[in-house]
Amino acid sequence: MEILVCIKQVPDDSVEITYDAEKNAPALDGVTDVVNAFDTYALEMAARFKESEGGEITVVSIGDDSVKNALKNCLAVGADKAYLVKTENAQALSAEGVAQALAQAKAAIETAENKKFDLVFCGKESTDYASSQVGIMLADELDAPVVTNVIAVEKADEGVDIKQETEEGYLLLHAAMPCVVTVQKPNYDPRYPTIKSKMAARKKPIEELAMGETAASVMDVLKVYGPKKREAGVKIKAESAEEAVAQAMALMTEAKVF
Amino acid sequence: MSLTDTKDIMVYAELSDGMPVNAVLEILAKARTLADARGEAVVALMAGAAREEAETALIQAGADKVIAVSTDGWHPEVYAEILKNTVESSKPALFLAAATQYGKDLTPAVAKAFGTACAVDVLDIQEKDGQFVFTCPVYGGTVLNDVVITQAPAVASVRSGSFSKAVDEARQGDIVRESAPAVDLKTIIKESVKEIAESVNLEEAEVIVAGGRGMGSKENFELVKELAEVCGGVVGATRPAIEDEWIPRSHQVGQSGKIVVPKLYIACGISGATQHVSGMIGSDYIVAINKDEDAPIFDVADVGIVDDAIKVIPLLIDAIKEIKA
Repeated sequence: MEILVCIKQVPDDSVEITYDAEKNAPALDGVTDVVNAFDTYALEMAARFKESEGGEITVVSIGDDSVKNALKNCLAVGADKAYLVKTENAQALSAEGVAQALAQAKAAIETAENKKFDLVFCGKESTDYASSQVGIMLADELDAPVVTNVIAVEKADEGVDIKQETEEGYLLLHAAMPCVVTVQKPNYDPRYPTIKSKMAARKKPIEELAMGETAASVMDVLKVYGPKKREAGVKIKAESAEEAVAQAMALMTEAKVF
Repeated sequence: MSLTDTKDIMVYAELSDGMPVNAVLEILAKARTLADARGEAVVALMAGAAREEAETALIQAGADKVIAVSTDGWHPEVYAEILKNTVESSKPALFLAAATQYGKDLTPAVAKAFGTACAVDVLDIQEKDGQFVFTCPVYGGTVLNDVVITQAPAVASVRSGSFSKAVDEARQGDIVRESAPAVDLKTIIKESVKEIAESVNLEEAEVIVAGGRGMGSKENFELVKELAEVCGGVVGATRPAIEDEWIPRSHQVGQSGKIVVPKLYIACGISGATQHVSGMIGSDYIVAINKDEDAPIFDVADVGIVDDAIKVIPLLIDAIKEIKA
């Protein structure tokens, strides 16, 4: 089974990113870059699929040299090969542009390695801009089936059975391969790298691909700003729980909460 | 394919149990205001098995016209095709849908088909120099972007709770019935499984009482449910509480769960990780109970009680019962 996993490097989502008025931009100084959380779930799901069905996992991303770090991290937790579509201007790409660049990268890797990918895994969204569109648009570029919000993928007959999480439970869908899935958090966590897997990852090459022509963005950002700041309210530290509740109830009644 | 001479606002009316979801009625109210200012019409597009009252509900909420397309059940590919076909024939200047799971799947398909773009999880829409300006949250809503889409139709998914409904029972409108196109399906739905018996409507809840890891056990989590019941609210939870199986994942608030905007949010034993806070920061009034006084949840709470939630909740239940009695 040949699997392609598309990943994005994003600022650490456990850090609260605020608006920096001086720079008129998100305050990203000192925030570590990580692999997008949903992409780590996608890679883990792909790794489990490979462990049961055999094959190889190739991971691909778009960006400058700094993104190689994210790709190295993927090589330490299940990916066999890594490719970077080299551009200094990844943030200027629209969702459609990213989808087109990934489709071109997929074709270029298939030619270079003389193989065809059976499955393409993406995260269901990124934790930074959360547009949740790239997987859907990539499938359109590839004229391939797509299933979103995926929590499980299994080989079935000549294709795959895919579980899509829904509000009330799940849909079980069947698709022929090649197909695209966008992954939601399944009920397991991604594996951690070991010292050995990290060492091995460091030795592996990251192949570079040239950025091709993509559709120009038709979305313009007019203004970047912060939401109305929430003021921290009253913090009650009382002698007893009874006293604390009485004080809290007084504040809530005053605010006409009840 | 690109569209020219676009006009009017089209709203995809997602149905649940045969009736439009609440977010659609909210969007129609905003669409009505925008359309009136432009001297244009609002068209609601509905697909699937609808109840008889659904069309009236859409017209009363702001639609001049309802296009009702009949289908043989739900399939995302069929619905995407219906949306694309209707946009192609009606040529709207703006296409809106609720930012639900399926709304967020269908809108990119529409945008891609017409070489335009899709604004996601939109919190506000304004018109400026003939263009629609969309307010979009980024980084979980701690930063906002105002964007315009320079190709028509502009496509956007709108977050529940962003606008208020404006029902006019006297409004009249036209109804057009169509049948679904034949679609060469790429995926087959083998099975639809309902795992969750109760329906959980966090997005539309006015009161949410949520619990986190600080509740300590499944037994203690019952206190959260009890408090929710007394408040007439819905139970929410953080990811750790879901992963410990104290409550089904349909109750999850935050990054991999729901974005909620209740009038009152009571956070019990919740530390306030950004992945959770990003889902509830839009609440009108936040009450937090946590024994760790440095817990970040207190930075966003209107009232914070520094104490053990397990001791505090029963007292709170009694106090609220007294007020409500």
